[in-house]
Order: sequence, then C-alpha cells, then structure tokens
Amino acid sequence: MDNRFEEVEHTADIAIRVWGHDLAELFANAAYGMVCQMADPDAAVRTVERLIELEAYDAETLLVAWLGELLYLDERDGYVFTDFDLLEVAPTRLRAIAWGGPVRDCRRYIKAVTFSDLKIVHTDEGYETTIVFDV
Amino acid sequence: MVQKRDFQQVDKYIWELSKDFRDDMRVPAQLFGDAELFDAAFRDRTVEQLVNTATLPGIVKYAMAMPDFHQGYGFPIGGVAAMRTDTGVISPGGVGYDINCGVRLLGTHLEQDKIAPYLRDLTAALYRACPSGVGGKGRMRVSERELNELMVEGGKWALKRGLARQEDLAHTEEGGCFPGADPSKVSARAKERGRPQVGSLGAGNHFIEVDVVDEIHDPEAAEAFGLWEGQVAVQIHCGSRGFGHQVCDDYVKGLQPVVQKYGIQLPDRELVCAPIDSPEGRDYYGAMACAVNYAFVNRQVLVMGVREAFEQVLAGKVKDFDLFQVYGVTHNIAKFEEHEVDGKRMKLCVHRKGATRAFPPGHPEVPEDYRDVGQPVLVPGSMGTASYVLVGTQKAMELTFGSTCHGAGRVMSRRKARKRIRGSELRHELEEQGIVVRAGSMEGLAEEAPAAYKDVSRVVEVVHGVGIAHKVARLRPLAVIKG
Repeated sequence: MDNRFEEVEHTADIAIRVWGHDLAELFANAAYGMVCQMADPDAAVRTVERLIELEAYDAETLLVAWLGELLYLDERDGYVFTDFDLLEVAPTRLRAIAWGGPVRDCRRYIKAVTFSDLKIVHTDEGYETTIVFDV
Repeated sequence: MVQKRDFQQVDKYIWELSKDFRDDMRVPAQLFGDAELFDAAFRDRTVEQLVNTATLPGIVKYAMAMPDFHQGYGFPIGGVAAMRTDTGVISPGGVGYDINCGVRLLGTHLEQDKIAPYLRDLTAALYRACPSGVGGKGRMRVSERELNELMVEGGKWALKRGLARQEDLAHTEEGGCFPGADPSKVSARAKERGRPQVGSLGAGNHFIEVDVVDEIHDPEAAEAFGLWEGQVAVQIHCGSRGFGHQVCDDYVKGLQPVVQKYGIQLPDRELVCAPIDSPEGRDYYGAMACAVNYAFVNRQVLVMGVREAFEQVLAGKVKDFDLFQVYGVTHNIAKFEEHEVDGKRMKLCVHRKGATRAFPPGHPEVPEDYRDVGQPVLVPGSMGTASYVLVGTQKAMELTFGSTCHGAGRVMSRRKARKRIRGSELRHELEEQGIVVRAGSMEGLAEEAPAAYKDVSRVVEVVHGVGIAHKVARLRPLAVIKG
C-alpha cells in the first residue's frame, strides 16, 4: 500500500486521498498521485527539469494551481512529471522543481483539477486532503 | 444527511425535497426518475450536490436532476438550475470544465447492408481522420488571429473557411454561433492550448459512433429530421478540449475571492460563482461563450473528417456517400433564456450541466424545417447499447426550463470498472455482437463499459413518461471510435 496516496470511489471521475507530514510533502504526494492516474511513473525517462513558481488565493487554490500547472506542462511538452522537490510551500506561495520526461503510454487524460470537496485538513500526522479530477 | 424518506413523490417520475430540509436551501430540489433510479441517487453524492445547488443565489423554482443523474463536482451531472438575471449568479462549476460538451448526429442516404462489407475500413478511416486520445493534436492548427475569429464566430467561421455547409449551422443549437463571446476575457494559456487542438476528439467518454437507426417511434418527427429505419447514421460526442478546460479552470480559481467580495456563502467551493450582473460574472460569460464557439468549431471540423472518411472508403462503391447534419446539441452550458415562472415571463440564466435543451414545436429557436415537430434531442447511450433521438416538448418548458437528460449516466466508478472489466475482453464481446471497435486505450475502454452506465432505455422511458422529451428513434451501434 502506498502511504502517499490512495484512489477513492467516485462515480464518474477520479478521486485520490493524499497525505503528507507537511505541506511540501502533501503537495509532492498529490502530484505523484495525479501522475499515477495518467501513466506508469516508473516508465518515464527523467530527462527534463522545470522550476515552478506560483501564487494563489489560499492553500487549496495553490494546490489546484500546482497540479494544474503540471497538467499544462504535460500537455504542452508531452511529458509526465514524476519527481518533485517542493522548495517552498507557504499557504499562498510555492516554489518547486519537477522532473520528468516522455512516456510511451499515457493511459488517461485529466481535464482538470476540481475544487470539489477540496479541503486541506490538519491531522495528528500532518496534512490530508481529497482531490477530485475531472476526466 | 438527506435520506429517501425526506423526499415526497409528487408525480410518477418526480421526487421532491422541500427547501425546509436545510436552512441554506432557497428552492426545493427535484429528482426525475423511476423508483429504481431514485434509489440509485443515494448511492453516491448526487442528492447532496443537488441540495447544494439549491442554495445558489437567485435560483428559481427548483434545483433539478434529470434521470441520468450521478455525482459530479459542484452540480450533480444531469443538473438543471435557472437563476434570475437581476439577483442571481452564474457559476463556472454549473457549466463544467468541458464547456459545450455536446453531440452531433449526421444522417446518410445508406442502408446498413450497403456499408457492411466496408465497415472495418470505414472505422479505420474515421480513426485516422478524427484524431483522438491523450495528447490530442487536432486536424487543424489555427493561428492566433484565426482563433480570435472562431471564438466569436463559431460555426460561421467554419462556413467562411469551407469547413461547413449552411445547413450544418441551421441544424445546430444556437446556429453554431453563441453570442456574447469576448476573446479579451480568455487567458493566453487557454488560447495557447486551443490553437493546436481544433478538430480533435479527446479521450474519456468522447467517441464517434457509426450507428443504424433500428426503431422509429415517431414517424412524423423522424421524417422531418431525415431519419428512417435501417439508415446508417454517425454520432460525434466531444467538447471544447484543453481550451474550454482552461477557461473553466481560470475562472473557478479566479472567482474564489470574488465569492467573498459579494458575501456569497457556498457549501462547496466548486459552486464558485459571481453575480450575473457584475463585471466578474460578465467576464466569465464572455469567456465561456468563446469556449462554446470553440467546441462548435471543433465538432464541425470533425464532421469534415467524417465526410472525408466516408468519401475515401465508399466513393465508387455506393451511390451516395454524403452525410447531412440532423442536429447538434450542447449539454454543458449557461444560457440566457426567457421562461415563464409563476405566470410571468422572466429572463433567466439556465445552467445545464450534463443536460440537454429540449424546446417544443413552434419555438422560434427551433430550426424552421423542424419547427412543426420540435427540437431534436440527442441522447447517446453507453458504448455498445443504444442511443436515442428525442424531440422537445411544451411540458419541458413548463417543468424543466426546456431541459431533459443527456445520456445514460454512470453508476459504477472508473476504479470498479477497471477492476471488474478487461478492455480487451470487452472489445472482443462487442466484436462478437458485430460492433467494430477502435480504441486508443484498453483501460479507457473498460472504464466506458456498458455495465458502468445506467440503462439508457430506462432513462429515456422516464423523460418520455414525464413528457419532457418524446422518443423519435433508436440507434444501434455498428462501430465505435474512441481515444
């Protein structure tokens, strides 16, 4: 069992529950959980590195913006991003490096990251959230 | 948490929840369905999402869910909600990320047996001519100037470029050109994503299908629409691609602080909205309209691909390989329409999220050659089952702001479908039934298995029984093309 994320039931779309000891880990695990819905991350050859800097209204909007940025880069460049270093995650600001590369079989297209039921919750172990992707 | 006993059955197929159920509800909620469909509404978050929709400012009459309802995000899929234009809100979440996802139906002059020997070649030609799948580059890549034009002109741009016929536009909702588009309200990123994807199918539940009309229920309407028993037809189901998804994403994120500005309390952030009569509301509408027109052009360019594929395979082999447009509908949109509310004509913003317009005979927005019978309604079923052509009714205007269902509606999660069904086995089963399948992803195919959907015939029986659309014809698939 992966302790970064798990897929949860949703009738029409794809939803994952994600955990992290801190926001940086939560955001990294959310990105990893998302790429697992699209392709096999182990099949991607790590050939590119991207610096991503974002600002947003609040932590949830920042999470949506972060994942949405990765989806945009995936579509634009034909890559999937599989490894992440969240250098800085303040609730409304993020600086990160993402590594990835081309993958032959992209099995699913994610249209968008939704705000549906999106709440970053503080737990004893750190943070938890559930993210619904529109497919 | 809302339970079945909180609802009252007010009609054979209508179940109502009083607005007193929850403090923040402004109107009652209505579920359309038979007893079994009603039960199914409680197996996921459909009902809770419908109740949430009933809290939106300016909503009138009811928050409604058509019988193909299922859990969505924000609105339930199958959701219909109309807001007053003076005090109400417009919600990007009430339209969805795939703005103007919709269906085109093309008719032919061919009987099934005329194309049977060429079906496999035809399927392959359609698969090549209509790009699909993840990564999704389209048949065309447009310049920035062309994109700005087509955002405003929609199908009229395609007509000018020789990519459409006049009758294609006449037989499309809104004439294939949605008013109020404002390209200055669309982000550079959305435009960047939109330029290479014109004429692409996408993936997921999008498809092209070659069908045969196997049952006629309303001979008069069928004749008006150009449909007859044994006829080959083609359906195209897709939307506004990355362009529309980005527009919605931009505004769902961008309107988060705006909700606070106007003091709007929301039970779900995906219901983010702005007053219709506000700069932010007008900005979203202007951008949404661009995406609506993008999708009209996208489907039109795919129509050209279908015509090309038919010519390529059938020229010299059949007498007439041409395809004409029966109709094109949209099922994710917010539109300004006039409806009667408590005896008064009111201008409303009608949100249809996985729901189809169903205007009656005599309505000025129904194409002239269909006006005696009413607007065609296209209801694709799940892969390998059936699809339906229906017609709009006056009852729909009275009950649902001229709206009806859009498809079969899912019952099984994609996760369960992947676990229970193997894509390759499903393809084999469909082929055994005589249905040729070309799919880019076996996992994607499994997720779209018929078992994952409601029985579309049951959904159609409900809308026919309630009277919010009447059956005209049933289509059976011969070939399915998917990303």
